[in-house]
Amino acid sequence: MTTVRYSYLAQQFADPAPILAALAQLVATGDFTLGKPVGEFEKAFAAMLGVRHAIGVGSGTDALKLPLKSLGLGPGDEVITAANTFIATVGAIHETGARAVFVDCEDHFCMNVDQAEAAITPRTRAIMPVHFTGEVVDMTRLMAIADRHQLPIVEDACQGILSEWDGRRSGTWGIAGGFSLHPLKNLNVWGDGGIIVTNDDAMDARLRLLRNHGLKNRDEIELLGCNSRLDSVQAVIGNWLIPQTGAITEARIRNGAYYDAAFAQIPGIRVPPRRSGVKRVFHLYMVFAEQRDALFEYCLKHGVEAKIHYPIPLYQQKGLKELGYVAGDFPVTDRHAREVISFPVDQHLTEENLATVVEVVRAFYQKG
Amino acid sequence: MLRVPYVDFPAQFAEERAELMPLLKGVFSRGDFVGGAAIEALEQELSAYLGVAHVVALNSGTDALILGLRALGIGPGDEVITPPNSFVASTAAIVAVGATPVFADVREDQNIDPAAIAATITPRTRAIMPVHLAGHAADMSAILSLAQQHGLVVIEDAAQAIGTRIGGRSVGTFGDIGCFSAHPLKNLNAAGDAGFLATRDASLAARVRLARSHGMQDRNTVVSWGTVSRLDTLQAELLRLRLRRLPSVLERRRQNAASYERLLPPGVFRPTPLPGAESSFHLFVIQVEARDQLKAFLSGQGIETAIHYPIPIHLQPAAQALGYAKGSFPRCEAQAERILSLPIHQFLTLSQVEHVAVQIAGFLGA
Repeated sequence: MTTVRYSYLAQQFADPAPILAALAQLVATGDFTLGKPVGEFEKAFAAMLGVRHAIGVGSGTDALKLPLKSLGLGPGDEVITAANTFIATVGAIHETGARAVFVDCEDHFCMNVDQAEAAITPRTRAIMPVHFTGEVVDMTRLMAIADRHQLPIVEDACQGILSEWDGRRSGTWGIAGGFSLHPLKNLNVWGDGGIIVTNDDAMDARLRLLRNHGLKNRDEIELLGCNSRLDSVQAVIGNWLIPQTGAITEARIRNGAYYDAAFAQIPGIRVPPRRSGVKRVFHLYMVFAEQRDALFEYCLKHGVEAKIHYPIPLYQQKGLKELGYVAGDFPVTDRHAREVISFPVDQHLTEENLATVVEVVRAFYQKG
Repeated sequence: MLRVPYVDFPAQFAEERAELMPLLKGVFSRGDFVGGAAIEALEQELSAYLGVAHVVALNSGTDALILGLRALGIGPGDEVITPPNSFVASTAAIVAVGATPVFADVREDQNIDPAAIAATITPRTRAIMPVHLAGHAADMSAILSLAQQHGLVVIEDAAQAIGTRIGGRSVGTFGDIGCFSAHPLKNLNAAGDAGFLATRDASLAARVRLARSHGMQDRNTVVSWGTVSRLDTLQAELLRLRLRRLPSVLERRRQNAASYERLLPPGVFRPTPLPGAESSFHLFVIQVEARDQLKAFLSGQGIETAIHYPIPIHLQPAAQALGYAKGSFPRCEAQAERILSLPIHQFLTLSQVEHVAVQIAGFLGA
């Protein structure tokens, strides 16, 4: 019996009739590949973020990979990123041939910026901060470090649409920022999708070539690229949802504030430090819990679909062995893997849902 | 004027609308937009259609080539032999995995010439990537025997060739891996990018399945490097519907090809399919002198045509680093000046085909 579910897609698309009609219209025209809806979505997204260019691609992973490729990264190069991220960040770096160099995180879930500076070597070619959970990296300090060492920043803003540091939106600080439009993201489509933003005209031009086989036009190939296009079909959904993104974000922020206040009263739960100057958009609502595994089981048993993002740190995963890290290299990330738990925070939750989550958690600790 | 469009999406949609809309609604009510049950169902249906043990659904035909090459362990220092007259994705996939494309010229049928492959093999050659261009089968028996002789793997670019068979066996199932595209312009087409890979080898299939979704074995365990290349569930539903119609699509394309064969004037060259092979007629490519003038003339008569492809890959700015020049592949280069793809899609009427043939005959003064 699930009373508070994690995925809200059934509610979000409870009445798909208007989108299906728009979709039927598109299917009839056959404008499937980089069609009109993609251009419209890119324009709307760029306007929403206040940037010059937005480029729709096949996934959030590709939204990270293509800017790195565009910077010319390859074998022998290093990219500094956070140890506590989702695999996509590291996979994107690996796909360019470069090597991911991890730094530990802090309790706000973002990278330790001092460690990022200390990790710079002569082989470092870029820094990829991750705005994990919708929190935001201290971009003021990271930008200063990047400037000092003349390194480009590509932001992993996959979870951070409309989040801000010091009044400036995530994804707009570095040379480029990548966003995911995966069905569970704050702005979501009906399958894999991603979008890159940049203010750099040359980067924009290269990205447009890279995502579409390097084709300058139908017959001329300027560079060897790949196929990573946001489908027109998905852009139709994006166009339908983009006017709602502000309200979705505000609803998540309200839900996050509700939890923060309630969980502050429960001794077994520790709310992460909430730095001022951050607009955190709560893609995930994540806190630290005593007896986390037992709480997690208890929540599931009592109808609250909690999640753990993520129980095994990437650097300890078998698939990443070649990076050469060993257990204990990133103690904060390790502790997070043992202590974090995520609760549903989406825009479709009712206040009753939120209260249920809090009550179940409270009951767990009260039973002792 | 009788208009002859090169593709006809509105006709395709009109034909299937009633069946399609409930399928899309189903995806909504389930909310399984990524990796839903429709993916596995489509993979099984494609396996049965192709007669191959494993099919892995992916985001594009390009990704099928890239993930296929990676699964075969092809990377830096390796050479892969492929023709220079394909869509750029074949060559780009080889470069994407860090390997070096080595071109071999083609035969009259526009497919890679086994004799040219043999002359191109070096100690660094690891794979042959034939392309079944236009839906015509490449000479797989000659290619497979070369591969066997030299210990090479074969990865077939069957992006244009679903439905193509040699001796009753689907192309894409002869080599170690076969790569297919379901791009909107293909015979089996999605409403966006889509592709899949076929193999009889369970471990190759397992490797690609991991690679398409971050190398994740389950939600929390990463066992290999990977990427994101998943077919959207929405597209899978559409492809399942269209796979059921594919035999009739192929039938209509073959009828159109037969009509062209009958009606086109004798001076117009068109490739002869490999003996024993059935073409999918993804394209119907003729070869003529004064190709550009003919194209312009037909366009003036309301007949859309296309050229696949006017500039061979080795002469593209993007391929400069590979070190080829004009004259490197004379047959491919000569064809690039002469080829013209006529409308062949399943919605053409006989009178449209007749119209095209009559206009071509008129232009050529035949």
